[in-house]
Amino acid sequence: MSQDLDPRIHRVLDGELDRAALRPDERTQVERLEAAARALSDVPAAPGLADRVMGVIRRPIRSPVERFRQWLTARHPVTVSLRPVYSVIIAVLLIALLWRGPGSGPAPLLGEHEGVAQFVARFPEAHSVAVVGAFNDWRPEATPLSDDDHDGVWDARVILPTGSHEYMFVVDGERWVSDPMAGRYVDDGFGRQNAVMEVRPGRSE
Amino acid sequence: MTAGEGSDAEIIARVLSGDVEAFGVLITRYEAGLLRFAARMLGSRDAAADAVAEGLVRAYRHLASCRDPARFRTWMFRIVANRCKSHLARRPVGDVSLDDAPPLAAPENTDAAFERNDQLERLERALGNLAPEKREAFVLKHLDGMSYEEMSAVTGERIPTLKMRVHRAREALLAALKESR
Repeated sequence: MSQDLDPRIHRVLDGELDRAALRPDERTQVERLEAAARALSDVPAAPGLADRVMGVIRRPIRSPVERFRQWLTARHPVTVSLRPVYSVIIAVLLIALLWRGPGSGPAPLLGEHEGVAQFVARFPEAHSVAVVGAFNDWRPEATPLSDDDHDGVWDARVILPTGSHEYMFVVDGERWVSDPMAGRYVDDGFGRQNAVMEVRPGRSE
Repeated sequence: MTAGEGSDAEIIARVLSGDVEAFGVLITRYEAGLLRFAARMLGSRDAAADAVAEGLVRAYRHLASCRDPARFRTWMFRIVANRCKSHLARRPVGDVSLDDAPPLAAPENTDAAFERNDQLERLERALGNLAPEKREAFVLKHLDGMSYEEMSAVTGERIPTLKMRVHRAREALLAALKESR
Protein backbone atom coordinates (compact mmCIF):
# COMPACT_ATOMS: atom_id res chain seq x y z
CA MET A 1 0.00 0.00 0.00
CA SER A 2 1.26 3.49 -0.79
CA GLN A 3 1.32 6.07 1.94
CA ASP A 4 1.41 9.85 1.81
CA LEU A 5 4.90 11.26 1.65
CA ASP A 6 5.84 14.31 3.64
CA PRO A 7 5.05 17.36 1.46
CA ARG A 8 8.65 18.55 1.93
CA ILE A 9 9.87 15.44 0.11
CA HIS A 10 7.67 16.35 -2.85
CA ARG A 11 8.94 19.93 -2.73
CA VAL A 12 12.52 18.72 -2.84
CA LEU A 13 11.71 16.43 -5.78
CA ASP A 14 9.95 19.33 -7.50
CA GLY A 15 13.05 21.51 -7.04
CA GLU A 16 11.26 23.90 -4.70
CA LEU A 17 13.23 23.04 -1.55
CA ASP A 18 16.84 22.19 -0.88
CA ARG A 19 17.33 18.59 0.25
CA ALA A 20 19.42 19.82 3.16
CA ALA A 21 16.09 20.69 4.76
CA LEU A 22 15.23 16.99 5.03
CA ARG A 23 16.06 14.45 7.71
CA PRO A 24 18.45 11.66 6.63
CA ASP A 25 15.63 9.09 6.29
CA GLU A 26 13.63 11.51 4.17
CA ARG A 27 16.67 12.15 2.00
CA THR A 28 16.93 8.39 1.50
CA GLN A 29 13.41 8.34 0.11
CA VAL A 30 14.27 11.14 -2.30
CA GLU A 31 17.37 9.27 -3.44
CA ARG A 32 15.42 6.06 -3.94
CA LEU A 33 12.85 7.82 -6.11
CA GLU A 34 15.59 9.50 -8.10
CA ALA A 35 17.28 6.13 -8.59
CA ALA A 36 13.95 4.62 -9.68
CA ALA A 37 13.50 7.40 -12.24
CA ARG A 38 17.03 6.82 -13.58
CA ALA A 39 16.38 3.08 -13.88
CA LEU A 40 13.11 3.67 -15.71
CA SER A 41 14.77 6.20 -18.01
CA ASP A 42 16.91 3.49 -19.54
CA VAL A 43 14.90 2.50 -22.61
CA PRO A 44 16.71 0.86 -25.54
CA ALA A 45 16.62 2.69 -28.84
CA ALA A 46 14.36 1.55 -31.66
CA PRO A 47 16.71 0.96 -34.61
CA GLY A 48 15.42 2.22 -37.92
CA LEU A 49 12.75 4.46 -36.43
CA ALA A 50 14.12 7.62 -38.05
CA ASP A 51 14.50 5.89 -41.44
CA ARG A 52 10.96 4.58 -41.16
CA VAL A 53 9.57 8.05 -40.52
CA MET A 54 11.69 9.72 -43.19
CA GLY A 55 10.66 7.02 -45.67
CA VAL A 56 7.02 7.91 -45.10
CA ILE A 57 7.39 11.67 -45.25
CA ARG A 58 9.56 11.60 -48.38
CA ARG A 59 6.66 10.07 -50.29
CA PRO A 60 4.54 12.74 -51.94
CA ILE A 61 1.18 13.32 -50.33
CA ARG A 62 -1.58 12.09 -52.60
CA SER A 63 -4.42 14.43 -53.37
CA PRO A 64 -7.85 13.73 -51.84
CA VAL A 65 -9.10 12.69 -55.30
CA GLU A 66 -6.24 10.23 -55.67
CA ARG A 67 -6.83 8.86 -52.17
CA PHE A 68 -10.55 8.47 -52.95
CA ARG A 69 -9.75 6.71 -56.21
CA GLN A 70 -7.46 4.30 -54.42
CA TRP A 71 -10.05 3.73 -51.71
CA LEU A 72 -12.58 2.86 -54.40
CA THR A 73 -10.31 0.43 -56.23
CA ALA A 74 -8.37 -1.13 -53.35
CA ARG A 75 -9.55 -4.26 -51.61
CA HIS A 76 -11.03 -3.65 -48.17
CA PRO A 77 -11.79 -6.32 -45.63
CA VAL A 78 -15.45 -6.06 -44.64
CA THR A 79 -16.75 -7.74 -41.53
CA VAL A 80 -20.47 -8.01 -40.90
CA SER A 81 -21.66 -9.26 -37.54
CA LEU A 82 -25.22 -10.58 -37.57
CA ARG A 83 -27.39 -12.37 -35.11
CA PRO A 84 -28.24 -15.83 -36.49
CA VAL A 85 -31.90 -14.88 -36.79
CA TYR A 86 -31.03 -12.04 -39.20
CA SER A 87 -28.74 -14.34 -41.17
CA VAL A 88 -31.67 -16.75 -41.65
CA ILE A 89 -34.03 -13.93 -42.69
CA ILE A 90 -31.52 -12.62 -45.24
CA ALA A 91 -30.94 -16.12 -46.61
CA VAL A 92 -34.72 -16.65 -47.03
CA LEU A 93 -35.09 -13.29 -48.79
CA LEU A 94 -32.21 -14.08 -51.14
CA ILE A 95 -33.69 -17.49 -51.99
CA ALA A 96 -37.10 -15.87 -52.60
CA LEU A 97 -35.53 -13.30 -54.90
CA LEU A 98 -33.53 -15.84 -56.87
CA TRP A 99 -36.26 -18.49 -57.10
CA ARG A 100 -38.91 -16.83 -59.15
CA GLY A 101 -41.70 -18.53 -60.98
CA PRO A 102 -41.62 -19.27 -64.72
CA GLY A 103 -42.16 -16.21 -66.87
CA SER A 104 -41.71 -13.74 -64.02
CA GLY A 105 -38.00 -13.15 -64.33
CA PRO A 106 -35.94 -11.37 -66.92
CA ALA A 107 -35.40 -13.01 -70.29
CA PRO A 108 -33.07 -15.97 -69.97
CA LEU A 109 -29.77 -15.94 -71.78
CA LEU A 110 -30.36 -16.92 -75.38
CA GLY A 111 -28.19 -18.61 -77.93
CA GLU A 112 -27.30 -16.87 -81.14
CA HIS A 113 -30.07 -18.73 -83.06
CA GLU A 114 -32.76 -18.65 -80.39
CA GLY A 115 -35.58 -16.34 -79.56
CA VAL A 116 -38.43 -16.11 -77.07
CA ALA A 117 -41.83 -16.99 -78.39
CA GLN A 118 -44.75 -15.64 -76.39
CA PHE A 119 -48.04 -17.48 -76.82
CA VAL A 120 -51.12 -15.58 -75.69
CA ALA A 121 -54.74 -16.63 -76.11
CA ARG A 122 -58.09 -15.74 -74.58
CA PHE A 123 -60.16 -18.69 -73.39
CA PRO A 124 -62.40 -17.43 -70.56
CA GLU A 125 -64.12 -20.77 -69.90
CA ALA A 126 -61.05 -23.00 -70.17
CA HIS A 127 -59.61 -25.00 -67.29
CA SER A 128 -56.32 -25.62 -69.06
CA VAL A 129 -54.61 -24.42 -72.21
CA ALA A 130 -51.45 -25.74 -73.82
CA VAL A 131 -49.52 -24.95 -76.94
CA VAL A 132 -48.37 -27.70 -79.26
CA GLY A 133 -46.16 -27.71 -82.30
CA ALA A 134 -43.28 -29.50 -83.89
CA PHE A 135 -41.06 -27.91 -81.25
CA ASN A 136 -42.66 -30.15 -78.58
CA ASP A 137 -43.71 -33.04 -80.81
CA TRP A 138 -47.35 -31.85 -80.61
CA ARG A 139 -47.62 -33.14 -77.05
CA PRO A 140 -50.32 -31.22 -75.10
CA GLU A 141 -48.72 -31.89 -71.75
CA ALA A 142 -45.35 -30.43 -72.75
CA THR A 143 -46.02 -26.68 -72.75
CA PRO A 144 -48.96 -25.48 -70.64
CA LEU A 145 -50.07 -21.85 -70.66
CA SER A 146 -50.93 -20.16 -67.40
CA ASP A 147 -53.63 -17.77 -66.27
CA ASP A 148 -52.41 -16.68 -62.85
CA ASP A 149 -54.92 -13.85 -62.41
CA HIS A 150 -57.91 -15.88 -63.76
CA ASP A 151 -58.86 -13.23 -66.30
CA GLY A 152 -59.20 -15.81 -69.06
CA VAL A 153 -56.02 -14.71 -70.81
CA TRP A 154 -53.51 -17.53 -70.97
CA ASP A 155 -49.86 -17.14 -71.81
CA ALA A 156 -46.50 -18.89 -71.98
CA ARG A 157 -43.01 -17.86 -73.00
CA VAL A 158 -40.90 -20.49 -74.69
CA ILE A 159 -37.37 -20.39 -76.06
CA LEU A 160 -37.42 -21.67 -79.63
CA PRO A 161 -34.98 -21.79 -82.50
CA THR A 162 -35.32 -18.77 -84.74
CA GLY A 163 -37.52 -19.22 -87.78
CA SER A 164 -41.14 -20.26 -88.51
CA HIS A 165 -43.05 -22.50 -86.14
CA GLU A 166 -46.52 -23.97 -86.70
CA TYR A 167 -48.61 -24.35 -83.60
CA MET A 168 -52.06 -24.94 -82.16
CA PHE A 169 -53.67 -24.45 -78.77
CA VAL A 170 -55.15 -27.41 -76.90
CA VAL A 171 -57.99 -26.34 -74.61
CA ASP A 172 -58.97 -28.50 -71.63
CA GLY A 173 -56.72 -31.27 -72.96
CA GLU A 174 -58.93 -32.19 -75.91
CA ARG A 175 -60.01 -29.26 -78.01
CA TRP A 176 -57.46 -28.21 -80.64
CA VAL A 177 -57.92 -24.59 -81.61
CA SER A 178 -56.05 -22.34 -84.03
CA ASP A 179 -54.74 -19.08 -82.60
CA PRO A 180 -57.29 -16.50 -83.73
CA MET A 181 -54.70 -13.74 -83.34
CA ALA A 182 -51.97 -15.34 -85.47
CA GLY A 183 -50.64 -13.32 -88.36
CA ARG A 184 -50.33 -16.30 -90.66
CA TYR A 185 -51.85 -19.76 -91.05
CA VAL A 186 -51.03 -22.88 -93.01
CA ASP A 187 -53.20 -25.84 -93.82
CA ASP A 188 -52.34 -28.83 -91.62
CA GLY A 189 -53.50 -31.37 -94.22
CA PHE A 190 -56.35 -32.54 -91.96
CA GLY A 191 -58.71 -29.71 -92.71
CA ARG A 192 -57.52 -27.34 -89.97
CA GLN A 193 -55.32 -24.28 -89.98
CA ASN A 194 -52.11 -24.23 -87.99
CA ALA A 195 -51.03 -20.82 -86.84
CA VAL A 196 -47.52 -19.78 -87.76
CA MET A 197 -45.15 -17.82 -85.53
CA GLU A 198 -41.96 -16.19 -86.70
CA VAL A 199 -39.32 -16.35 -83.97
CA ARG A 200 -36.56 -13.81 -84.32
CA PRO A 201 -33.25 -13.81 -82.47
CA GLY A 202 -33.46 -12.64 -78.88
CA ARG A 203 -37.03 -11.37 -78.79
CA SER A 204 -40.58 -12.63 -78.50
CA GLU A 205 -43.29 -12.33 -81.07
CA MET B 1 20.60 21.11 -29.71
CA THR B 2 23.51 20.35 -31.97
CA ALA B 3 25.70 23.27 -32.97
CA GLY B 4 25.31 24.31 -36.56
CA GLU B 5 21.87 22.73 -36.96
CA GLY B 6 19.93 25.66 -35.60
CA SER B 7 17.03 26.02 -33.20
CA ASP B 8 13.81 24.06 -33.55
CA ALA B 9 12.14 27.16 -35.00
CA GLU B 10 14.86 27.52 -37.64
CA ILE B 11 14.66 23.87 -38.63
CA ILE B 12 10.89 24.04 -38.82
CA ALA B 13 11.17 27.05 -41.11
CA ARG B 14 13.52 25.05 -43.37
CA VAL B 15 11.14 22.10 -43.47
CA LEU B 16 8.18 24.35 -44.27
CA SER B 17 10.11 25.95 -47.09
CA GLY B 18 10.57 22.53 -48.71
CA ASP B 19 13.66 21.03 -47.08
CA VAL B 20 12.11 17.69 -46.11
CA GLU B 21 15.43 16.24 -44.96
CA ALA B 22 15.73 18.89 -42.25
CA PHE B 23 12.96 17.12 -40.38
CA GLY B 24 15.51 14.37 -39.71
CA VAL B 25 17.31 16.77 -37.38
CA LEU B 26 14.18 17.12 -35.26
CA ILE B 27 13.75 13.35 -35.22
CA THR B 28 17.33 12.86 -34.04
CA ARG B 29 16.86 15.53 -31.42
CA TYR B 30 13.68 14.14 -29.84
CA GLU B 31 13.49 10.49 -30.81
CA ALA B 32 15.03 9.10 -27.61
CA GLY B 33 12.88 11.19 -25.26
CA LEU B 34 9.69 10.43 -27.15
CA LEU B 35 10.51 6.73 -27.27
CA ARG B 36 11.23 6.67 -23.53
CA PHE B 37 7.96 8.41 -22.81
CA ALA B 38 5.93 6.13 -25.11
CA ALA B 39 7.66 2.95 -23.91
CA ARG B 40 6.87 3.77 -20.30
CA MET B 41 3.31 4.77 -21.15
CA LEU B 42 2.59 1.64 -23.18
CA GLY B 43 4.89 -0.89 -21.49
CA SER B 44 5.97 -2.20 -24.89
CA ARG B 45 8.93 -1.14 -26.99
CA ASP B 46 7.27 -2.15 -30.27
CA ALA B 47 4.05 -0.32 -29.49
CA ALA B 48 6.11 2.69 -28.39
CA ALA B 49 8.07 2.71 -31.65
CA ASP B 50 4.77 2.61 -33.57
CA ALA B 51 3.30 5.45 -31.51
CA VAL B 52 6.41 7.61 -31.93
CA ALA B 53 6.64 6.92 -35.67
CA GLU B 54 2.95 7.74 -36.14
CA GLY B 55 3.38 10.88 -34.02
CA LEU B 56 6.39 12.08 -35.98
CA VAL B 57 4.68 11.57 -39.33
CA ARG B 58 1.63 13.37 -38.00
CA ALA B 59 3.78 16.22 -36.73
CA TYR B 60 5.45 16.56 -40.12
CA ARG B 61 2.10 16.61 -41.91
CA HIS B 62 0.75 19.30 -39.57
CA LEU B 63 3.97 21.21 -39.03
CA ALA B 64 2.45 24.39 -40.41
CA SER B 65 -0.10 24.32 -37.58
CA CYS B 66 2.62 24.34 -34.89
CA ARG B 67 1.85 27.84 -33.62
CA ASP B 68 4.97 28.26 -31.54
CA PRO B 69 7.91 26.49 -33.22
CA ALA B 70 10.12 27.37 -30.22
CA ARG B 71 7.94 24.99 -28.22
CA PHE B 72 8.10 22.20 -30.75
CA ARG B 73 9.18 19.76 -28.06
CA THR B 74 6.02 20.06 -25.97
CA TRP B 75 3.87 20.09 -29.14
CA MET B 76 5.57 16.88 -30.28
CA PHE B 77 5.13 15.22 -26.88
CA ARG B 78 1.47 16.18 -26.96
CA ILE B 79 1.02 14.44 -30.30
CA VAL B 80 2.80 11.28 -29.10
CA ALA B 81 0.86 11.36 -25.82
CA ASN B 82 -2.35 11.34 -27.84
CA ARG B 83 -1.07 8.45 -29.96
CA CYS B 84 -0.32 6.57 -26.72
CA LYS B 85 -3.85 7.24 -25.46
CA SER B 86 -5.25 5.85 -28.70
CA HIS B 87 -3.10 2.73 -28.34
CA LEU B 88 -4.18 2.27 -24.73
CA ALA B 89 -7.84 2.74 -25.67
CA ARG B 90 -7.59 0.02 -28.33
CA ARG B 91 -5.90 -2.40 -26.02
CA PRO B 92 -7.76 -4.83 -23.73
CA VAL B 93 -8.10 -3.72 -20.12
CA GLY B 94 -5.18 -4.87 -17.97
CA ASP B 95 -2.83 -5.28 -20.90
CA VAL B 96 -0.56 -2.52 -19.62
CA SER B 97 0.97 -4.77 -17.00
CA LEU B 98 4.45 -5.95 -17.80
CA ASP B 99 4.01 -9.18 -15.82
CA ASP B 100 4.73 -11.32 -18.85
CA ALA B 101 7.28 -9.08 -20.47
CA PRO B 102 11.00 -8.86 -19.80
CA PRO B 103 12.33 -5.55 -18.48
CA LEU B 104 12.78 -2.97 -21.18
CA ALA B 105 16.41 -2.45 -20.23
CA ALA B 106 18.75 -5.10 -21.63
CA PRO B 107 19.65 -7.64 -18.94
CA GLU B 108 23.27 -8.21 -17.96
CA ASN B 109 24.71 -11.43 -16.74
CA THR B 110 25.79 -10.64 -13.18
CA ASP B 111 24.17 -11.04 -9.75
CA ALA B 112 24.05 -7.28 -9.27
CA ALA B 113 22.46 -6.90 -12.67
CA PHE B 114 19.96 -9.62 -11.79
CA GLU B 115 19.00 -7.75 -8.65
CA ARG B 116 18.75 -4.51 -10.61
CA ASN B 117 16.56 -6.17 -13.21
CA ASP B 118 14.38 -7.68 -10.53
CA GLN B 119 13.88 -4.24 -9.03
CA LEU B 120 13.36 -2.73 -12.45
CA GLU B 121 10.64 -5.26 -13.18
CA ARG B 122 8.88 -4.29 -9.94
CA LEU B 123 9.16 -0.64 -10.87
CA GLU B 124 7.85 -1.25 -14.36
CA ARG B 125 4.96 -3.25 -12.95
CA ALA B 126 4.17 -0.53 -10.42
CA LEU B 127 4.34 2.11 -13.15
CA GLY B 128 2.13 -0.01 -15.42
CA ASN B 129 -0.42 -0.42 -12.64
CA LEU B 130 -0.79 3.33 -12.21
CA ALA B 131 -3.72 5.07 -13.89
CA PRO B 132 -2.51 6.34 -17.30
CA GLU B 133 -2.80 10.00 -16.31
CA LYS B 134 -0.61 9.46 -13.21
CA ARG B 135 1.85 7.41 -15.23
CA GLU B 136 1.99 10.16 -17.83
CA ALA B 137 2.60 12.84 -15.22
CA PHE B 138 5.38 10.87 -13.52
CA VAL B 139 7.13 10.00 -16.78
CA LEU B 140 7.03 13.57 -18.08
CA LYS B 141 8.30 14.92 -14.77
CA HIS B 142 10.96 12.45 -13.80
CA LEU B 143 11.98 10.63 -16.97
CA ASP B 144 11.76 13.50 -19.44
CA GLY B 145 12.60 16.16 -16.88
CA MET B 146 9.84 18.57 -17.77
CA SER B 147 8.74 21.50 -15.68
CA TYR B 148 5.11 21.58 -14.58
CA GLU B 149 4.53 24.38 -17.09
CA GLU B 150 5.80 22.20 -19.92
CA MET B 151 3.75 19.26 -18.64
CA SER B 152 0.70 21.48 -18.66
CA ALA B 153 1.39 22.37 -22.29
CA VAL B 154 1.69 18.68 -23.16
CA THR B 155 -1.33 17.39 -21.26
CA GLY B 156 -3.62 20.41 -21.23
CA GLU B 157 -4.08 19.91 -17.47
CA ARG B 158 -3.70 22.50 -14.72
CA ILE B 159 -0.47 22.51 -12.74
CA PRO B 160 -2.06 21.63 -9.34
CA THR B 161 -3.70 18.61 -10.98
CA LEU B 162 -0.39 17.51 -12.45
CA LYS B 163 1.39 17.96 -9.12
CA MET B 164 -1.18 15.81 -7.39
CA ARG B 165 -0.76 13.09 -10.03
CA VAL B 166 3.01 13.14 -9.73
CA HIS B 167 2.79 12.95 -5.93
CA ARG B 168 0.47 9.95 -6.04
CA ALA B 169 2.70 8.23 -8.57
CA ARG B 170 5.81 8.80 -6.42
CA GLU B 171 4.07 7.33 -3.40
CA ALA B 172 2.95 4.26 -5.34
CA LEU B 173 6.43 3.64 -6.74
CA LEU B 174 8.09 4.13 -3.37
CA ALA B 175 5.65 1.63 -1.87
CA ALA B 176 6.54 -0.85 -4.63
CA LEU B 177 10.23 -0.41 -3.85
CA LYS B 178 9.59 -0.98 -0.14
CA GLU B 179 7.79 -4.24 -0.89
CA SER B 180 10.83 -5.43 -2.80
CA ARG B 181 13.16 -5.05 0.16
